[in-house]
Amino acid sequence: MAEQAESKRWLGALAAHSRRLILATVSAGVVVALATIAQMAFLAGIVHQGIVDEVPVAELSMLFTGAIVAILIRGVAQGLQARYAARCSREVRSEVRHRINRCWQASGPVSMSQTSAGTLAREWLDHTDALHGYFARFLPQMMLAVVVPLMILVVVFSLDWLAGIFLLLSAPLIPVFMALVGMGAEKLNQQHFETIGRLSGQFLDKVRGLTTLQLFGQTAPAAETLRQRSDEYRRITMKTLKIAFLSSAVLEFFSSVAIAVVAIYIGFGLLGYITFGPSSDLTLFSGLLILLLAPEFFQPLRLLSQHYHDRAAAMGASSEIVDRLQGVDRPQPPAEPPHHPESPDIVAVRDVALAYDAARPVLDGVSLVINKGDVIALTGPSGGGKTSLLHLLAGFMQPGRGHISVFGERAGDEAFGWLGQSPFLVHGTWADNLRLTTPGATDIAIETALHHVGLESLIKGRERGIYSAITEDGQGLSGGQARRLSLARVFVASYDLILLDEPTAGLDSDSEIYVLEALHKLAQAGKTLVFATHHQALLTLANRTLLVTEGGVADA
Amino acid sequence: MRELAPWLALIFHRPGRLVTGGLLILATLLAGMGLLALSGWFITATALTGILLAAGVQASINLYVPGGGIRFFAVARTVARYAERVYNHDTVLRLLTDIRVALFQRLSTADRDRRTRLRGPQWLSRLTNDVDALDTLYLRLIAPTALAALVTAVLLIAAWLMYRGELAVGLALVLVPAFLVATLLVYLRTRHLVYQQTAARERVRTDVIEHIEGFGELTAAGRIGKHAALCLRQAGQITRNEARTDTRTGWNLGLSQVMVNLSVVLALWMGLELFQAGTVTGPMVVLLPIALLGLQEIYSMLPDAFARLGGTLASAAALNRDCAPEPSQGAREQQPHGNDCALELERVTIRFGDHASVLSHYDMAVAKGEWVGIVGHSGAGKSSLADVIAGLEKPAVGRVYALPLAYLTQKTVLFDDTLKANLLIGRPDATDADLWRVLELVAMAGRFVHEPAQLNTWLGSMGSQLSGGEARRIALARVLLNKAPLLILDEPFTGVDAETRNTIATGMMQWLAGKTVVSLGHAPEALPASDRTIRLA
Repeated sequence: MAEQAESKRWLGALAAHSRRLILATVSAGVVVALATIAQMAFLAGIVHQGIVDEVPVAELSMLFTGAIVAILIRGVAQGLQARYAARCSREVRSEVRHRINRCWQASGPVSMSQTSAGTLAREWLDHTDALHGYFARFLPQMMLAVVVPLMILVVVFSLDWLAGIFLLLSAPLIPVFMALVGMGAEKLNQQHFETIGRLSGQFLDKVRGLTTLQLFGQTAPAAETLRQRSDEYRRITMKTLKIAFLSSAVLEFFSSVAIAVVAIYIGFGLLGYITFGPSSDLTLFSGLLILLLAPEFFQPLRLLSQHYHDRAAAMGASSEIVDRLQGVDRPQPPAEPPHHPESPDIVAVRDVALAYDAARPVLDGVSLVINKGDVIALTGPSGGGKTSLLHLLAGFMQPGRGHISVFGERAGDEAFGWLGQSPFLVHGTWADNLRLTTPGATDIAIETALHHVGLESLIKGRERGIYSAITEDGQGLSGGQARRLSLARVFVASYDLILLDEPTAGLDSDSEIYVLEALHKLAQAGKTLVFATHHQALLTLANRTLLVTEGGVADA
Repeated sequence: MRELAPWLALIFHRPGRLVTGGLLILATLLAGMGLLALSGWFITATALTGILLAAGVQASINLYVPGGGIRFFAVARTVARYAERVYNHDTVLRLLTDIRVALFQRLSTADRDRRTRLRGPQWLSRLTNDVDALDTLYLRLIAPTALAALVTAVLLIAAWLMYRGELAVGLALVLVPAFLVATLLVYLRTRHLVYQQTAARERVRTDVIEHIEGFGELTAAGRIGKHAALCLRQAGQITRNEARTDTRTGWNLGLSQVMVNLSVVLALWMGLELFQAGTVTGPMVVLLPIALLGLQEIYSMLPDAFARLGGTLASAAALNRDCAPEPSQGAREQQPHGNDCALELERVTIRFGDHASVLSHYDMAVAKGEWVGIVGHSGAGKSSLADVIAGLEKPAVGRVYALPLAYLTQKTVLFDDTLKANLLIGRPDATDADLWRVLELVAMAGRFVHEPAQLNTWLGSMGSQLSGGEARRIALARVLLNKAPLLILDEPFTGVDAETRNTIATGMMQWLAGKTVVSLGHAPEALPASDRTIRLA
């Protein structure tokens, strides 16, 4: 419940942010309603004058013109309503995407890597899109469902208060309707999506294992299982749906009965059979107008019930987005830590402490000076703080105490080379992958870089060379090759500082040799390298080895 | 539109249900129209009679028939609406089953290469979206369009018969364009906006996933902001297209409603002329315009459905591509030449696209009953070789002759189903005792004998969670159950500890006595004992 309230609050804040477009949508909807009332009044007036007063049609042209103008206004307002609604949804979704993006930036690479990329992408794309129906349809309709019936009620009361009371009698029922509709729609929605979800799950599961089924010649029985399961789900779902649909039937019943009652009351009133109340003043005009307005009284509610699932979808999506946004908002360190400039020739770590959990600091009182051109190996037990120290040097995290200066700048202010534990490559060509971090790299630089990491054999003989796609024909890169590709990015750029986290972990022997050679070349080129490793060959490559353990750093 | 043909055929496979469902919607619509039109007629009739009565003229009106009619329509509307929703929802769920089963059957005979290229969660999510687009085609598009056309035609005929030919023609001149504006025009104006949307969305998804995976490297290189802007711009482009689609749909809806309302005015104008000429009665003048007002209800369902048609067509086209049959039906499963030979490779070359070949001109022969181990480091082409032997891939050059075989793929595939169902895939006629025996062999019997559901324990995401090694052993058990004389085992013991591996390997010696076994792995100790070991360079 608390979570729902949180989602509601957040959606409310978003609505407040796009207040103007929501108001524009609702206003257009109100104009539609006003034009509809005017149109019906003109039509009823034409009927009255033409039939009761027998005014020749030609003399009714004023009324006809009025009706046509009302119809045109109604159409234009309808179009505008759609336009504003679409723009509002677009604005909201864009705003939410920007917010999530800012939240990602604020949380940094370290905490980003703790959630799967698929989940984060789904939040950013699909959950944000799930807000569309709420802002484009449900929210404006929610307001219109209150305003429009009231407007119609005012008109009907002015025509015949008893007929107004008939409609009004159903008005106290409207909140009841809404609750009914809401509960019904919610249930319906839930049930429907559950069924679809399960069916899709079953289907996808079979598709995923299709090759296995083919190998055993079992595709036909699997199709049969799929059919039987689907049928079972359908039967179970239908039982619930039969009850859920009752709520919309109730709405339909009340609106039909209200129209019938109003029609019969007006008819008897016009005949003079009703001897009390205002019915003696009824005319064909007022009677017909009341009848024509009666369905419009219920129409906004009907639309609202149709859009109810938009609300459920938005609530579900927003609760996850809110979780993500809040997860970062709270423990945010000061955005701009004070900078203590030091010599541009050293990387200086001064009395730095870092703790995820106050009782057990990961690093405590670490001081360190790394000279330009040093090759530093960080070693020590896993969990000892090697990776954390790298993250601090990268500026991905801010120390709880102390400060870090990288060549006279704040950590992370200048571009540097980073090789994390999970290599990444983008869908595209070799050139795309290398230009991602160095947009200006020349073809020759890219070829050289690929040569340095021993990947040139993969493009040799390919028609388009570095412009051929990396992943073709389902053949991706092995983990080692992907790691080398990441290293190639470092070669294309001219970084002074290169940080590497376990650059040889889990590599096959070929890749390992290439990585070692590549690092050696980088060291010879005078780059400052800092890597966390246990690997003996890498330790030999370093001109200084630091042991990171129990929160402290010492020369090994 | 041709891309929809196979799916429409599937949907129209249940004509009885579709027609019944359509009639129920029609009943709902007509009851609504009837309720209002009859009420309008009744009010006009009573007003005219009331005036006569007030003037002291003797007049009478039959109150029972229209009163009863109004009550009937009110109840009929409610009942028809409820019945329609229940019945049609049932139909939609049935169609959903039909479409999924048919799609699965088509995929199982489709070109495997294409599926392999598309493999992965993204393809599956796209598949789900595409199927969802087809599920509701009937209820959202086909039924409303057919009914809108039908009801319009009925009203036009009624106008012709009960009023005058000119009136019917005049109405047709307004309503036919209104129908086209709500359907065809919406489709034409939104087609190009929605057709590429699904593909565009998947592209953005790929980019966002890459953005997140490369967050560290991009941040380090100072490119994270630029890359984020790229993702935002692409997503913004999609949202803008959606907003334009919605806006155009809205304008078309507005325009078609204006035209329907104009037809109301026209009917009133000509009706009044007929009334004043003494051709029709006063209440009749009111009847037709109010019925026409009721057309708005069904016309308003059309534009939205047609705005999505472009996307639905794209989905159908994508599914058709997925289901495209194998281009060449290569004659596989050729028996080995020699009588005592179980597997023969003749100058086999394996290559992917324009990459360098993984294996070239490779010869191999395995005798019946022989156990062969193939070892090589990662990337040496073991799995490709296994795929070629099993017939999943075709060699670029050369031929493969093999006895019927069972193949344990490198990837462990278990289904979201019971343990029993998972094992029976290997041998559908296996008894429970067989299953327990093979579970005993792979040292998994103990794991399930204490489960309350035993062999019916649910595996996978919804049920019992298996470790990687446990799942591997179930997959192995499935292959061991199979009756094929030749077994191809690719890394059979991934994730299984050495002790258990030895127990299983010993058990396999007995269980598979007389069969031919080719096992592939990174090192001999990861394989069951072999008569000979081949090393791939």
